[in-house]
Amino acid sequence: MKKIIYILLQISLLFIFYHLGEYIQSVLNLTIPGSIIGMLLFFVLLLTNIIPERIISNGIDLLIKDMPLFFVPVTVGVIEFFDFFRGKGSLILLAAFLSTLLVIFTTSFIAGKLLEKEADI
Amino acid sequence: MVPYLYGIGFLILTVFFYFISKKLYSIIPSPFTLPIIITSLSIIIFLYLFDIPYSVYMYGGQWINHFLGPLVVALALPLYRQRYLIKKYALVIFTGILTGSFIGVLSGVLLTLSLGFGESVIAAVAPKSVTTPVALSITDATGGSMSLAAIFVMIAGISGAMFAPMMWRAGRVNHPVAKGLGIGTASHAIGTAKALEDSELAGAVSALSMTISAVLVSLIAPLVLKILF
Repeated sequence: MKKIIYILLQISLLFIFYHLGEYIQSVLNLTIPGSIIGMLLFFVLLLTNIIPERIISNGIDLLIKDMPLFFVPVTVGVIEFFDFFRGKGSLILLAAFLSTLLVIFTTSFIAGKLLEKEADI
Repeated sequence: MVPYLYGIGFLILTVFFYFISKKLYSIIPSPFTLPIIITSLSIIIFLYLFDIPYSVYMYGGQWINHFLGPLVVALALPLYRQRYLIKKYALVIFTGILTGSFIGVLSGVLLTLSLGFGESVIAAVAPKSVTTPVALSITDATGGSMSLAAIFVMIAGISGAMFAPMMWRAGRVNHPVAKGLGIGTASHAIGTAKALEDSELAGAVSALSMTISAVLVSLIAPLVLKILF
């Protein structure tokens, strides 16, 4: 029972950071999503050890392990786009595919060259 | 009261399908049997068979959606655990991820634009290289279609997991750090699972790449869209 309460508290912490991030985003009128601001805040508090990793980790690890579950409802929404993909929309899938391969190729290639250079020095 | 009962029913159904899909994935692991794909597909078929509109399914689905933002916050933890790697390879990591994030957003946006699609579709393509919760946050902020964004993210993940080894051979890339940077920046968590098959180092670098690129893309995507429209 105590463990469940701990996990619930750890997960609530994520909600607090999320809403804090959203609040900062709206007050400062930033284009970066509030969730990312919340993540960066949380990261800084972990780095500075203000929030020690061990007191928050089990609940958060539990959530991360089953993260795909939370993407299901949005993904099911594709049901409303069937006609779109039956037509010209299918071409975008090809665009997304090509763009992805381009990213892997250039990023890995540039990083590989930089690493070779560092090894030479 | 009735929407409430529907909501609880669909919530239970979603969780049930998800855990069955996970079981299936442990028996047949492949990019096509990922739990997100099998679960979503099962629910789509279920809704189709019983003629249930998406809006009714969302009585339950909306509760699950409340976790999307907090899940982005959760990504700080794995990033924190990789902090030593960031220090060790700082220059390579930032150069690689910055280049990859820019190319991902620009090439996706330009290809879609050249196909003649409108703003809500282009905004959904822009963040396709980052992990789903972040891509959804970005798309929500830029006014794109979130369900389309979820599909494009999946395409980026699966195509990366399938074709990354081919890209590495083409570019003669052998260093695990270079491999992890490429696949993590392009194909987020699905790519990271693939990188782990290469080596533990490639997997760790991929995991941190997906988080750092998420932060960068959340800056780049709105900017590119603002310039275009």
